[in-house]
Amino acid sequence: MSQTHDELRELLGVYALDAVDDDERATIERHLVTCPRCRAEVEEHREVATLLADPGADAPAGLWDRIAGSLDEAPPPLVLTPLTPRATRRRRWLPPAAIGIAAALLIAVLGAQVRHQDDRINRLEASAADPLLASYERALGDPDATVVELAGARGVQAVVTPDGSGYLGAASLPRLAPDRTYQLWGKVGDDLVSLGVLGADPDVVPFRAEGVTLLAVTEERAGGVVRSSQDPVVSGQLS
Amino acid sequence: MDDLSLASDAALVVAIGRWRQDALAEAYRRHGGAVFGLAQRVVNDRTLAEEVVQEVFLRLWNSPDRFDPERGSLRSFLLAQCHGRSVDLVRSESARRAREAREHRERAEAGYDLEHEVWDLAVGEHVREALAELPADERQAIELAYFGGHSYREVASMLGQPEGTVKSRIRTGLQRLRGGLSKAGIGALT
Repeated sequence: MSQTHDELRELLGVYALDAVDDDERATIERHLVTCPRCRAEVEEHREVATLLADPGADAPAGLWDRIAGSLDEAPPPLVLTPLTPRATRRRRWLPPAAIGIAAALLIAVLGAQVRHQDDRINRLEASAADPLLASYERALGDPDATVVELAGARGVQAVVTPDGSGYLGAASLPRLAPDRTYQLWGKVGDDLVSLGVLGADPDVVPFRAEGVTLLAVTEERAGGVVRSSQDPVVSGQLS
Repeated sequence: MDDLSLASDAALVVAIGRWRQDALAEAYRRHGGAVFGLAQRVVNDRTLAEEVVQEVFLRLWNSPDRFDPERGSLRSFLLAQCHGRSVDLVRSESARRAREAREHRERAEAGYDLEHEVWDLAVGEHVREALAELPADERQAIELAYFGGHSYREVASMLGQPEGTVKSRIRTGLQRLRGGLSKAGIGALT
């Protein structure tokens, strides 16, 4: 940490080529979080390195089949099928062998959550001062809040606190082209109302959850639409 | 979006985020060869290289949001991941490493030149020209670090030069290359 900015800058070339040791890498990465100019320089070096790499003939035959074979299960269907909210999941007694299996599953699930947690921690570091993110984290920690994972994409969840504040954790939605936007919809009674135009790369989005029974996110042209004819990207039942 | 062969790389990644395996297949078709080529080059072992490729694309499948189109091309992103992973593998195999260091030193001493290894397409021509304008010691240091997977300290000891010199030669060399390439109008850099 004792390096000056200039000393760190000297390391950016070798850093971009992965030619630094672990300590130096850690130091640089801490610096990059707060220094857009150095980040931009690293990206430039990497683009140059990309051009040096051989675009190659084809990748080995059979390798794609191995990759395809190791992908996760088929995605959940992209329909308005709500997932069971975590808070209302039913408890059942399980025989001992099933507990073992359940424990193994739990470990797998926790593993996946740790990964998401890591992502979130990274984001938190990047925007530690964001009060919205802080409210979202608080809501997630509230035992009386309802947390719903939305079906259709990974890692998108909504949390609603008892006072009707809702937050959509949408950071894992892939960034759209600049002329596209995500839009959040809520079903209130029989009407589908727009709860907000989220932009091309939303993170945490607050919304009023009173009366909303179902949430859906669609992809629209920038600016949003009054009524959507798109299939939802993600959706889930709130109550 | 449904004709994936016409989709932009960024659109492919969006589709991957929606679990579309055909989008991952298309990304693999476009960039799998380059990723494999780089892995093969650094780890110098076909089986290990295939494992690296598999990891890189699985990672894209599992965390597509890690790719930010505003921070560079998909190929650059995938190659950076591939390079980092390859270097980890190489560094964990010290025996292989010692052998490779010897080979690289021999090639370096024999006047081995990066430009002979550069790909042979239209863009390759510009890359070769830009490389030709690079001082030999910058070229050599970049080659040993990037393709050899060596740290700059190792490169310094292999070339018998001070660490600081190697460090700044690599950075200056990359900047000079970038300058040469954007002058030649290479798309990704303009």
